[in-house]
Amino acid sequence: MEQSDVLRSARFRQEREADWKRLETLVSTAEKSGVQRMGFAAARDLAALYRQATTSLAIAREISLDKALLDYLEALTARAYLSVYAPQERVGSVFNRFFRASAPQAMRRSALYILAGFVCMGLGVLVGYLLYFENAAWYYVFMPPEMAGGRGPDASTEFLRSVIYDDDPEASGLGAFATYLFSHNTRIAIFVFGLGAFLCFPAVLLTFYNGLILGGFFALHVDRGLGVDLGGWLSVHGVTELSAICIACGGGLMLGVAVPFPGQRSRAEALRHAGRDAVKLALVAALMLIVAAALEGFARQLIQDSGTRYIVGWGVGFLWLLWFTLSGRTAK
Amino acid sequence: MIFRRRKTRDSIDVNRVIPPEGVPLNLNISGVGVRLGAQITDIIITTITAVALVVLLWALDATEPDTLMAIGALLFFVIRIPYYVISEITWYGQTLGKRFLKIKVVSHNGGTLTTHSIVLRNLMKEAEIFLPGTLLITLDQTTPVYSWLALGWVVCVLLVPVLDRHRRRLGDMIAGTHVIHLPEPVLLSDLASDNRSREKHFAFLAHHLDHYGIFELQTLEDVLRSVERRHLSPQAYRNRQNTIKTIVEKIRGKISYADAVMETDYIQFLSDFYNAQRAHLEQRQLFGDRRQDKHHNTTNDQK
Repeated sequence: MEQSDVLRSARFRQEREADWKRLETLVSTAEKSGVQRMGFAAARDLAALYRQATTSLAIAREISLDKALLDYLEALTARAYLSVYAPQERVGSVFNRFFRASAPQAMRRSALYILAGFVCMGLGVLVGYLLYFENAAWYYVFMPPEMAGGRGPDASTEFLRSVIYDDDPEASGLGAFATYLFSHNTRIAIFVFGLGAFLCFPAVLLTFYNGLILGGFFALHVDRGLGVDLGGWLSVHGVTELSAICIACGGGLMLGVAVPFPGQRSRAEALRHAGRDAVKLALVAALMLIVAAALEGFARQLIQDSGTRYIVGWGVGFLWLLWFTLSGRTAK
Repeated sequence: MIFRRRKTRDSIDVNRVIPPEGVPLNLNISGVGVRLGAQITDIIITTITAVALVVLLWALDATEPDTLMAIGALLFFVIRIPYYVISEITWYGQTLGKRFLKIKVVSHNGGTLTTHSIVLRNLMKEAEIFLPGTLLITLDQTTPVYSWLALGWVVCVLLVPVLDRHRRRLGDMIAGTHVIHLPEPVLLSDLASDNRSREKHFAFLAHHLDHYGIFELQTLEDVLRSVERRHLSPQAYRNRQNTIKTIVEKIRGKISYADAVMETDYIQFLSDFYNAQRAHLEQRQLFGDRRQDKHHNTTNDQK
């Protein structure tokens, strides 16, 4: 049979079919084992053949009415597109970049929002503190009873002291209370961040409320002359943990502010742009919460001396600050 | 009529992704049900793994009960965000559940799927579904207000992808991603160059080929492909013969093909007609006359 007898589109297909088949095998190896593990020639061919296939598809759409061919090329090109434009990063390098550059840079860029988060929390503490001294009954209003663990205005000073200086460190090494508080504050942090994405107000309110609890709690202990001791008890993990909540609040605020004040961008675009830094703040906050949980679980039980507790707590806080301020600076 | 036309045009746009090469690709958006299925699969897989690990540690008597509880609590966090983020980075936008159901996360604007988008969409998943979900499960009768709030929140969040044209969650919108079905490339043989089409029995003239358009051509292609299927029951075989006979008579009537066609030559007739019609339509298309279906003459007149 003569070559010219065959349809133009059928000839088009015959000439290129071998390349498509090769692309198909390359795509399936890329999907199975990853582009990074492919050899140089295979990776080069994948990219080149993919671009050829897109051209073939564009031509086929114009000249061919063979539905089988069009469907095949459509699917093949899409599959190849997905492997060529897959995220070309390993998990290790992602972690490396996050810790050494992008996280501290994002922290510095959004310093104002984080400050706002700290102000929310600080105001909450102040209000809670003052309210307690105005009337101790306020304590019951904002303190969830299951979180207080029996520590209220009714409790004896000895009991309060015994919680701060645990007489039996072994019994509650990683007890239920620690786990609960860990998950409570983690939940608060995530809520604060998530709520901020939709409206600033709930995020601010929740941070403020958390401060309120803290203020009332602190005032209770100051009232009993245990202020310094509680400061030590809280410092161990609290410096890290409460900062994490404030940072999460800052990230939420960033997202929340982007919607009503998008600037020159569209609202969706502004939200996406704010998300770039906000998500890093959330990750930093999550990391800090994990560290705080470890501090709470181990360090607080092991260290019974108030002075050492202050040193450990604020020392760790200082290390965080060093990471945020010094790491990831590029030479100018 | 107008409403329907707009709807079809939209459905083409929705599935269209434009890669940096500039040739639009059709990647079908995966529905809410499939994605929910993938999510549930993921939850089941991770939970079983975590429980198995804890039970293993317990059975081996490796740690104290207190530590075991802490490990359990830690695992509970690891199987959430970190699992989704790491699996989507290592498997290019697929978790295990997504791999089973053959769906994949792609960048909404057709560019590379970035690590940032993967992290962001999974972080939002926590705030959107998991937290209110766990709240809903853990809260009890004493705090109905929070339960209702959480329920309302979950319902609203689940409604977002149902209402969105691209079936995106809130997290997808913020991260600039959506989820698609992986297309399966299957190359069928070319009807225009197989054995039957090499020997031509029937000749068609230009006025025979001016009646049909692309839609009819591709329907005929489907019929011809179904003919290749063998192993039919006698009843199905007879039905198919009747269908083919009807089609041949219809075509002969429509194009006013005068010569008689023997019953044994029906398939050959259809195959020859397919080739001639396809050659004709492809040629017309090259000259800018794309005939969508058999109404191509009437619509042109109206315009």
